[in-house]
Amino acid sequence: MEILKVENLTFSYPLTTSPAIKNVSFAVNKGDFVAVCGATGSSKSTLLRLLKREISPLGEISGKIIFDGEPLSSLTPEKSASEIGFVMQNPEHQIVTDTVWHELAFGLENLNLPQPVMARRIAETAAYFGIESWYEKKVSELSGGQKQLLCLAAVMVMNPQVIVLDEPTSRLDPIAASEFISALKKINRELSVTVIISEHRLEEVIPISDKLLVLDNSVVKSFDTPRNIAANLSDAKLLYSMPYAVQLFHAVNGKGECPLDIREGRRFIEENFGRETTALPTPKYTHSPQTAICFSDVYFRYERNLPDVLRGLNLIVYENEIFCILGGNGSGKTTALSVAADLIKPYSGTIEIFGKKIKSYKNQSLYRNCLTLLPQDVQTVFMRNTVREELEGAEEEAEKLPVDFEKLMDKHPYDLSGGEQQLLALAKVLAAKPKLLLLDEPTKGIDSASKHRLINILKQLKSDGMTIVVVSHDMEFACDCADRCAMFFRGEIVSVDTPSRFFTENNFYTTAVSRMTRGIYSNTASLSDAVKLFTLNKGGEQV
Amino acid sequence: MRTFADSNPVASAIYFFSVTGIAMFSANPVISAISLVGAITLYLMNNGRKSLSLHLFSAGLFAVMALVNPLVSHNGATVLFVMNNNPITLEALIYGVCAAVTVIAVLYWFRSFSDVMTADKLLYLFGALSPKLALTLSMALRYVPLFGAQIKKVHASQKALGLYKDENIVDSFKGGMRIFSIMITWALENGIVTADSMTARGYGAGKRSRFSIFRFKLDDVLLICAVLALSTVTLFGVRNADFEFYPYISTPEITAEVAVGYVSYALMTVLPVIIAVKEELKWKYLKSKI
Amino acid sequence: MIVIENSRLRSAVKIAVPFMLIPLLVVLGATVFDEQRYLIVSIGVALLSLLLFAAGYEKKPTGSRRMVIVAVMTALCIAGRFIPFFKPVTAITVITAIYLGGEAGFLVGALSALLSNFYFGQGPWTPFQMIAWGMIGLLAGFLANPIKRHKWFMLVYGVLAGIVYSLVMDIWTVIWYDGSFRSELYLTAILTALPHTIMYSVSNFIFLWFMAKPFGEKLERIKIKYGI
Repeated sequence: MEILKVENLTFSYPLTTSPAIKNVSFAVNKGDFVAVCGATGSSKSTLLRLLKREISPLGEISGKIIFDGEPLSSLTPEKSASEIGFVMQNPEHQIVTDTVWHELAFGLENLNLPQPVMARRIAETAAYFGIESWYEKKVSELSGGQKQLLCLAAVMVMNPQVIVLDEPTSRLDPIAASEFISALKKINRELSVTVIISEHRLEEVIPISDKLLVLDNSVVKSFDTPRNIAANLSDAKLLYSMPYAVQLFHAVNGKGECPLDIREGRRFIEENFGRETTALPTPKYTHSPQTAICFSDVYFRYERNLPDVLRGLNLIVYENEIFCILGGNGSGKTTALSVAADLIKPYSGTIEIFGKKIKSYKNQSLYRNCLTLLPQDVQTVFMRNTVREELEGAEEEAEKLPVDFEKLMDKHPYDLSGGEQQLLALAKVLAAKPKLLLLDEPTKGIDSASKHRLINILKQLKSDGMTIVVVSHDMEFACDCADRCAMFFRGEIVSVDTPSRFFTENNFYTTAVSRMTRGIYSNTASLSDAVKLFTLNKGGEQV
Repeated sequence: MRTFADSNPVASAIYFFSVTGIAMFSANPVISAISLVGAITLYLMNNGRKSLSLHLFSAGLFAVMALVNPLVSHNGATVLFVMNNNPITLEALIYGVCAAVTVIAVLYWFRSFSDVMTADKLLYLFGALSPKLALTLSMALRYVPLFGAQIKKVHASQKALGLYKDENIVDSFKGGMRIFSIMITWALENGIVTADSMTARGYGAGKRSRFSIFRFKLDDVLLICAVLALSTVTLFGVRNADFEFYPYISTPEITAEVAVGYVSYALMTVLPVIIAVKEELKWKYLKSKI
Repeated sequence: MIVIENSRLRSAVKIAVPFMLIPLLVVLGATVFDEQRYLIVSIGVALLSLLLFAAGYEKKPTGSRRMVIVAVMTALCIAGRFIPFFKPVTAITVITAIYLGGEAGFLVGALSALLSNFYFGQGPWTPFQMIAWGMIGLLAGFLANPIKRHKWFMLVYGVLAGIVYSLVMDIWTVIWYDGSFRSELYLTAILTALPHTIMYSVSNFIFLWFMAKPFGEKLERIKIKYGI
């Protein structure tokens, strides 16, 4: 049964010439899980918001949106508010009230329901989502993942038939993101709630989607099962956002059924390639003898009564290398970065930056032509009202970056896309002419195309002589750009190695390609290595 | 175990307002003194021996307040000594002490009030009067820690960007202003997300109801009845027991009525202690049976 | 009831009734009361005024965006306390009032007084602080045009707001202490509070000097972008 039907939908924002949505038609069945994908600027958000009447953008609209047999515009306010749920990107700002229970109640209060009905609905929702143990907590005490789960629950409590989600996991770390996707899968499979979701990272969404809607330049390019779409991909940008199994399939011009997840990817490799060569020769890693950062026995805690976050950390980063720090939440990665940038001070141990004690950099001289940090939340570096003003004194750096700032000049920094904001912030940071660049989670919230662009930029900066330290959760990113990777665990480094060895020796904490090739080939963590290896083996019929 | 702090906020509020209201309204030093003892007892019961600084502060404030009156007011017949041609009188001093007792007592009551009436509970009370105001306040309460965390992040970014030139007060004030300006943009721009999230969940569609996690239990009703009864008895008992300070101190005659008033007020001030002791005993009794 | 056509005048009357008429009546009626009970009466009146204001606010619909802005401004008043020595409450209240109207100004002032006492301790002074700060916002809303047009007017307003706020709160301190108003005690209170008063005024001046323009631009942008 069709729950939602869009017919010839065209939409343009005020004062623009070309429509943001052009002649879009598609129909979603009750209980379907639909993923919407497309590059940044393909109007994914606009389309999704048009499906939710209360927050539809203002502009000229034609065509029809039919929900549950009725035009969307003629639904009663109660039905419209409760039966179509909407979850946005940023969990911090979607939450309205200060406590978990009140947030759950908020939507029901708006429906003017009596207390006993609310109490019952809230109780069952909280129990279903496992919120009971933090039901009375303040929102500010929750983790990012819990906050986003709360946003989902606060929508689910209203008992919607359809929920629309606009990049809900882009601000979460991979573990929280995958928990969130599991929760979505659960409500879709167990409660038959129709899910329409847009995502940058499709790795986990594609295997559970019934349909994939590909948007390109304001039109629907295809609307089909993920397998069919994955098998016939032509757009390189879109390919970047696909699961690694799909990328691998296309990189070797695979034929037949396209694998969608790790398990299928592994089967695909086993069936198609021989094992004559099981490893690529690994060149020995050479580094500069000078150190850029040297931590010895560094201990840090945030407050006297709290446990140590860094426990005798020893860390050496050599000049002119890209060093990636990986590890779970709370393992001390970001703390180590802040200590290196002298933003917080350890209570014991010594830190040297370019061979000089950090304490001897007096009067903020550490930040002059020496070291700089690009924070996780890039909005913290914007101070002005236009991109032009932001870039004052950083024009040179901006020119080198692969983004056309010229046409963005008069925009407000907050109106740029995630990827553009990232590069604007990077330009500002680079204007300080640092020798050592520290980056905290630079790939959070940006799409795959921007991520590839960032890898190229970092490599370019390195060849210009810069030392770069990246803290990240993103293993594929680390694998593709780092010279060395380090694993943080409970405030210490437990392993440091070159990416190919680092990721192939890890069992759980490793890249998708490494998972697919484990036991078949060794030392294969990145997509490019895997492709090289397959070419050498010439197995199957296609390479 | 249900202690005083677990009572329904309405019951707790009625208790605090009655107990402080009577102390302020009666202008009777005996009531004030009972009030002070009761307030300190409750505070000590909840906080133990920590927060010594509060007690020291209160003692200091007490001394200042007690001494201010004789220095500025020269009424009263019993001159203790003369300072700068101004007589310092016993009556004015005693008046100052009595006023200070009342003020300090109220301060202590409100300390306990703040401990017991957490933001959640106050919002519940406001919600009964104006749900919309309570919602606005709840949103602001959500924002305060969020902004606090963001301010720290912005400060760190700005520092690492090398925007602080020197380490002095002017620079840190300028830095503060810069951070504040960034915060305004950040908060306003992202606030729109909050507004959308409200609208998406049906805010503004019509009349709202109100959900609360606080229930009225029999204990609460009993507590309210007890407070109202004791208040009435107290006010009735001390209705004519006014003190005169000038020119001579004259105390009202202690009749049975007045005595009953004092006793009932004293009972009222120790109600939370009584509840705590009762629960403690009940618990011990239950435990001995297990 | 008389129908007032002009909506601005109507809202002015609505606000004037709780805040001007009632206190006036009480002041006149104070002679009837026993002097020593003045404190409790004044608290009652303050609460009543706030209640009437709340009732007015409750009745009319407030869009979610407007509501968010009031909440954001209120929270900024509290969060802004991190800046050394200077407290931005009055400045934020005034700026909100001139861009979003007197009611929003009153709300931001009153709610930030209440909210800051969540952190610094509630007391019988809370309703008075709420009204005092709220009034600063309300008045700024009425004077929005001259304040927007002349910077000096805004700065004078800010400085006066600081002084008047202190003077009003001192009256209350005296009443609380003495149960009635005595001018010699009032003088002592003013003198004791002088450093605070100066700080308030200077702080208002500096904040308005630096913040009014950029802050106003930001609010204008939001107003245009989101149609408030």
